[in-house]
Amino acid sequence: MEIRNAQREDLASVADLIVRVKRLNNEFDPLFAVVSDAKARADKYLDSTLGQPDKLLLVAVEGQKVVGVLRAELRERLFYEPHEEGFITEFYILPEFRRQALGNEMILRASAELKKMGAQIIVGEVPSQNEIANRFYIKRGFRGLLNLFGKSP
Amino acid sequence: MPEEAPAEESSKKALSYSKFYGGKVMVAPKVPVRSLDDFSIWYTPGVAAVSRAIEANSDLSFEYTGRWNTVAVVTDGSRVLGLGNIGPEGALPVMEGKALIYNYLGGVNAIPLPAKVNSEEELIAFVKALEPSIGGVNLEDIESPKCFDVLDRLRAEMKIPVWHDDQQGTAGVTLAALFNALELTGRKLRGTRIVLFGAGAANVAAERLLVRAGANARDIIVIDSKGILHPEREDIDQLLLRNKWKYEIAMRTNGDRIAGGLKQALRGADALVAAAGQGPDLIKPGEISVMNKRAIAFFMANPVPEMLPAAAHSAGVEIVATGRSDYPNQVNNSLLFPAIFRGALDVRAKTITDPMVIDAARELAGFAKEKGISKNYIIPTMVQWEVYPRVAAKVGQAAVREGVARRKLTAKESLQAAMDTIENSRKIMRTLRRNGIILEPPE
Repeated sequence: MEIRNAQREDLASVADLIVRVKRLNNEFDPLFAVVSDAKARADKYLDSTLGQPDKLLLVAVEGQKVVGVLRAELRERLFYEPHEEGFITEFYILPEFRRQALGNEMILRASAELKKMGAQIIVGEVPSQNEIANRFYIKRGFRGLLNLFGKSP
Repeated sequence: MPEEAPAEESSKKALSYSKFYGGKVMVAPKVPVRSLDDFSIWYTPGVAAVSRAIEANSDLSFEYTGRWNTVAVVTDGSRVLGLGNIGPEGALPVMEGKALIYNYLGGVNAIPLPAKVNSEEELIAFVKALEPSIGGVNLEDIESPKCFDVLDRLRAEMKIPVWHDDQQGTAGVTLAALFNALELTGRKLRGTRIVLFGAGAANVAAERLLVRAGANARDIIVIDSKGILHPEREDIDQLLLRNKWKYEIAMRTNGDRIAGGLKQALRGADALVAAAGQGPDLIKPGEISVMNKRAIAFFMANPVPEMLPAAAHSAGVEIVATGRSDYPNQVNNSLLFPAIFRGALDVRAKTITDPMVIDAARELAGFAKEKGISKNYIIPTMVQWEVYPRVAAKVGQAAVREGVARRKLTAKESLQAAMDTIENSRKIMRTLRRNGIILEPPE
């Protein structure tokens, strides 16, 4: 299994995984209902990610197959120190390739890359109700920083 | 072959007879009451000595009371027959019928206990609270996937056998029929490509049992309403959260990672077990004809199999079984559950393990084999009475071997105990009928 920066030819597979993340989020709250053209949006989203100096797109690859993705970006924390955060926006591994420490390796690799890009802290977001993902981050030394509340107006 | 009354006639009789008899089972004394003085033995003050003994050693409740032979038939009424969620009262006649079969074929005192509960937790709490009074639990007609969690938790938390007939019973009897079908077609379980069409209680349990019995999980394909289960199916994360049993099946089966539907799954398959829904055209000839030569197909839906046997044969299937008695090869839970509990109760088993069920399936298959298997006879019929004590004895021996028996009987003792109890039950029926206590049904 190889973890590397995504290349253009990976993007179609990566977009599928991004849509899977969003569908998974929808399992936890109806406010995460996924739009019907999610795949097209994911294609565009990834296209604008690739090659950007403030964005990171890692893939885990088994042979020719993309089995995991981690997308992150640098964000400025205007009022806080540390000032620069590496924000993990999407992180997904196909079920068959879970429980093999791949997730841990991808987080370590992403942390190292984001640090090189200038990040002083690493942040990841997951739905509040996704206990598996919450446990994943806590087990790796992350702590909860914010609660995001939402409701229909 | 026993005749099955047409559904309309059976329904009419069921309504009329149920009203006439006012229930199918009853609690009857098993000790003599020679005079009212005997109540000072059977009840107070004498009974206090028995209570004190049991208080000191609760396992004595299996020796001094009827607990050893008592099974609760429990449901929440959430998925009764093909009727759906009809509630506990609606489920009562079905549970009574189950109790009657337990008694008549297995000599088990089964008590129908549909429960009004509002959640899985309440159901689990209800069953656990019954434990001091009973030797076993038969869960029945509980919707999927709730039934998996209820069974798993009760098996883990109780010290008596807990059985869900829709899972283990159907899976066990399917396995028995499959053993002989494989024998007839010159196959071994290991290496046979098996398609399980339908991923409800029966087939989820069948997958586990097949693998425990020697099948290679990679050679099994399971199909649910959305198609073939595999690790990259679009809804796989939903399954992880909502139905972990199907999720695990998706992870470990289907080694070739075949995607699609029934036809894709059946291409090159050796055996099909369909427990997917009412037929007769749920499976099309064009879908099944792509199976390997000497194909085996079981259509388990009742009353209308997923495909009728004649159509399956025409499409090239060699051995066909259904859940119905008016076709050859009836794969019927009633062949198994009375004997399973007979054997488990006789050795005061603490649980029913998968190897106990597999041994029972092997004995069922072995019995048919002794009689001479053919493509129209791969499993015993319900009228072959002698099969029940034989299967019970194997279950008892497996329990001893597995270390879950409180009472360690030899094979001979297991067989004798089962024969005595089953025969006694039948004798009681004969006596009650002969003496006009159980009346003949009205015309």
